[in-house]
Amino acid sequence: MTLDSKIPAGPIQEKWDRHRFDLKLVNPANKRKFEILIVGTGLAGASAAASLAELGYNVKVFCLQDSPRRAHSIAAQGGINAAKNYPNDGDSIWRLFYDTVKGGDFRAREANVYRLAQISSHIIDHSAALGVPFAREYGGTLANRSFGGAQVSRTFYARGQTGQQLLLGAYSALMRQVGKGSVQMFPRREMMDLIVSQGAARGIVCRNLVTGEMESYSGDAVLLCTGGYGNVFYLSTNAASCNVGATWRAHKKGAYFANPCFTQIHPTCVPVSGSHQSKLTLMSESLRNDGRVWVPKNPQDKRSPEQIPEEDRDYYLERRYPSFGNLVPRDVASRAAKAMIDEGRGVGPTGLSVYLDFSDAIKRAGESAIREKYGNLFDMYHHITDENPYRVPMRIYPAVHYTMGGLWVDYNLMTTIPGLFCLGEANFSDHGANRLGASALMQGLADGYFVIPYTLGGYLAQAKLPKLSSSAPEFKEAENLASEKIKKLLSIKGKKTASDYHKHLGKLMWDYCGMARNAKGLKNLLSQIPEMREEFWKNLALTGSGEELNQALEKAGRVADYLEFAELLAKDALHREESCGGHFREEYQTPDGEAKRDDEKFSYAAAWEFKGVGREPALHKEPLSFESVHLAQRNYQ
Amino acid sequence: MSFLSRFYSSSLGRKFFVAGAGLSLCGFLVLHLSGNLLIFKGPGVFNHFAQTLDSNPFILPAELILAGLFLFHIVIALIVRYHNYQARPIGYVKYSAKGGRTWGSRTMTATAFIVLAFLIIHLKDFRFGDRSQGVYHLVVSCLKNPYYAVFYIIAMLSLSLHLSHGFQSAFQTFGLNHPKYTPAIKKLGYLFAAVIGLGFSSIPFWIMLGKIR
Amino acid sequence: MKFFLEVWRQKNAQSQGGLVRYEVVGISPEMSILETLDVLNEQLLEKGEEPIAFDSDCREGICGMCSLVINGYPHGPEKASTSCELRMRHFQDGQTIIIEPFRAKAFPIVRDLVVDRSAFDRVVAAGGFVSVNTGNAPDANCILVPKDVADKAMDAAACIGCGACVAACPNAAAMLFVAAKISHLALMPQGAPERDARVINMRAQMDKEGFGHCANEYACEAACPKEIKVSNIAKLNREFLRAVVCSDK
Repeated sequence: MTLDSKIPAGPIQEKWDRHRFDLKLVNPANKRKFEILIVGTGLAGASAAASLAELGYNVKVFCLQDSPRRAHSIAAQGGINAAKNYPNDGDSIWRLFYDTVKGGDFRAREANVYRLAQISSHIIDHSAALGVPFAREYGGTLANRSFGGAQVSRTFYARGQTGQQLLLGAYSALMRQVGKGSVQMFPRREMMDLIVSQGAARGIVCRNLVTGEMESYSGDAVLLCTGGYGNVFYLSTNAASCNVGATWRAHKKGAYFANPCFTQIHPTCVPVSGSHQSKLTLMSESLRNDGRVWVPKNPQDKRSPEQIPEEDRDYYLERRYPSFGNLVPRDVASRAAKAMIDEGRGVGPTGLSVYLDFSDAIKRAGESAIREKYGNLFDMYHHITDENPYRVPMRIYPAVHYTMGGLWVDYNLMTTIPGLFCLGEANFSDHGANRLGASALMQGLADGYFVIPYTLGGYLAQAKLPKLSSSAPEFKEAENLASEKIKKLLSIKGKKTASDYHKHLGKLMWDYCGMARNAKGLKNLLSQIPEMREEFWKNLALTGSGEELNQALEKAGRVADYLEFAELLAKDALHREESCGGHFREEYQTPDGEAKRDDEKFSYAAAWEFKGVGREPALHKEPLSFESVHLAQRNYQ
Repeated sequence: MSFLSRFYSSSLGRKFFVAGAGLSLCGFLVLHLSGNLLIFKGPGVFNHFAQTLDSNPFILPAELILAGLFLFHIVIALIVRYHNYQARPIGYVKYSAKGGRTWGSRTMTATAFIVLAFLIIHLKDFRFGDRSQGVYHLVVSCLKNPYYAVFYIIAMLSLSLHLSHGFQSAFQTFGLNHPKYTPAIKKLGYLFAAVIGLGFSSIPFWIMLGKIR
Repeated sequence: MKFFLEVWRQKNAQSQGGLVRYEVVGISPEMSILETLDVLNEQLLEKGEEPIAFDSDCREGICGMCSLVINGYPHGPEKASTSCELRMRHFQDGQTIIIEPFRAKAFPIVRDLVVDRSAFDRVVAAGGFVSVNTGNAPDANCILVPKDVADKAMDAAACIGCGACVAACPNAAAMLFVAAKISHLALMPQGAPERDARVINMRAQMDKEGFGHCANEYACEAACPKEIKVSNIAKLNREFLRAVVCSDK
């Protein structure tokens, strides 16, 4: 199968407009005849569900948690970008587009990114109309801040809880439709399998997590809005239930998985404290606007931070990147921190952290101004570490945070399975090899509010979809397979828990496929994963039954997926013999340690086709051409 | 009337009624206490006051309205209590309430029952008691009994406790919460509760001390 | 550190539950109470016993999924913290910690410490929104919102929907949750057109779900991990009074 990205013809500014005109429309009276299944209720899922129901489609929505409002978009802190240019500081659609393509290290699809920049303004308008309490200026207009390496102030925010407020906005729109009866909500459900019938995605099989029953739902299209796979590293800033299950299970049914090795390590997280830690907590990148990152100049310097005089401190980001300073993109900041720690200059009890110091900002603006901006983040840090960041510098360390890779989708957000769409972080889309700060919220909402309502209609208007009942043999077969898998997991009765395997896998992934990768390490990793997978299926400890709420069973199922998926991630990392964005191969770097791309050989999206567990996946390349933005090495000095 | 019945059937509406009746009763307490304190002026003044009241043609309708208010306050509060009980059928093994919970708020139902019991006895003995020798005599002879006096004082202190929460709580129920005024309302509530409790209690106390005879 | 955990175990909604005592050792002070339960669960699994079911997700205090009553306090005795943020350094070595689920008729127990809080979703579905379809919105700066108003709305909108207010309330009332949403949308000009219908409908659904009455005891405010103020409840009362008395609804 060849990859057709379906990028519309014409100048980049007109592609989306023309495409919207070219897409066929569904007659308003016919919309209610279509059944749309949406998995996941984060920004992408909730906004898509609300928008599609508003148009008149019948929508069924599924989520793992007890309420759609808990999806992990809620934890996004810093903000959302939009090319509004309210501050009059030189922003434009073109600049947002340019920054995003460049920030993604030239591994994103230009046409998608341009569309994203075009739509960005509407997201702010719509969210404000939904009552999202964005930060305001005294005159009542919306406030902006500069964020995550941007030199213009284009980030809109609601304190340090922007993700929460945007999600609650989308959730409220979704619940409005639930109240009207146009959306049916199915919480505490896990998608076990995708149903593909006559070449098109036609339904899903879910496990009801409370009763354990398998439930079949048929539909005319399936939207996966299930987030990223950062938890393959075990420790990440993702929520406990974030998983690769839905996309991986769809991948096994024929959806290609693109660029899995593009994972983002976020530079400002609370450092790891011990082996029982279940997750890492992000400190918003906005902190880097006012905080200065430093380590002692001398690795032997064990004084407490306030005793280290100015001349013995190394503000290494300001030193290495004078023009961007503390605001360099995430991948650059993370690798710089790693370099300091590798030099033995890390601080804190474990030596695995660097300082993020606010004393200058507090001196300059006053403690109350800092509290106003970051109060909730400082409190959160205080809760976790028992240290008061108003008095002593924060300690931070990079952690896995976001995954740019995901199911391959075309310009219409459709995967390689007709009728299966993938939105938000779950697709590979718009961020290339590295996502800029405040762009994830933008992409999730763009996909849900403003892209899928058009492109889904375009698909449904021309698709020939015969009636398919949820009692069709395809569903029964998938239900049986899912039940058998659960029975199998329960029957192992071994000694090691799923968490043990997850921790072990995560450690390997972090060590060999984390911030810096090399061929030797990746090969080593690739030899260990199948062994671990085999052991997992022989020695898993699990109790209880499949006919009840069994959280250990849920966890085991997700770890089983990770043990398969990790191999693909590592293979992708090994095959991509270049450094770009979040993917840093030690063999490919410039003399001063920056990422070195190989545009000759690797200017493509790598879309992998599943060929069986443990079998070599097939690589399909979608060539990326850059007509509007000229390829250049990123330079933040 | 349908809006009133809908209003009543809502949890918020019921609370408005309880609070409204409660605050009105607070007004009655002020009047009652002012009358009672005339006892310190001696039997002449006090009995004259009582007779003037009794001979007022509006006293019966006023009493009926008052009785209605009491009943209304009590019945709706009991309904609210019942609903609240239903809202948590299985309690906690360990419950460490904190926040604005006070002795007053915690004991609202208990103090209500004490005051109710008092009210019944009080009506029987004073409103419908033998007033032939003057109300002054009736009061003094009843409260000379130390058990009666102690019961009277306990009931009044319960009322005070009830008011310490009820007074300020009514303002919150009416939506009157403001950073400028709420602290003052709270203080006023405590002051009001103290004045009412101590004011009424002063009479049996003085009688026990033998200062009023 | 070592702790004795007395945890509410209940097989399912129908069965009877009770406290079961466990000992956990090797706990470090920076671990959270949920990580302590994780450790205990790992031990139980290895012994072939069924682990304790409890809800949690983001583990950074924002998703509102965790829902434990710890020594009688929803989310534990620490101020402004969710269960997942509660570190073991706040307990004494060797202490007994009682862990129960949120208790309210409107939050039926699913299993062990897991409860069903879908009542909150239904309350929101009844009116906790602004009726604006995607595509309808004017430019965001068309409607000015004074900074102090936006800040106040944000204070209320910070609610994470965990239900600790209900768990803490002696009457299992959901007033603080409902008030936070009413207050947020009543403050924002975008919420104004539906102000009356919203408060009437959300209130009606709240009662239907079987939550209790507010007795102004403010246990909710003390338990709220996001420190939502009870002045929002006064605002809810005001909005309700206004809607019932002044509007034709």
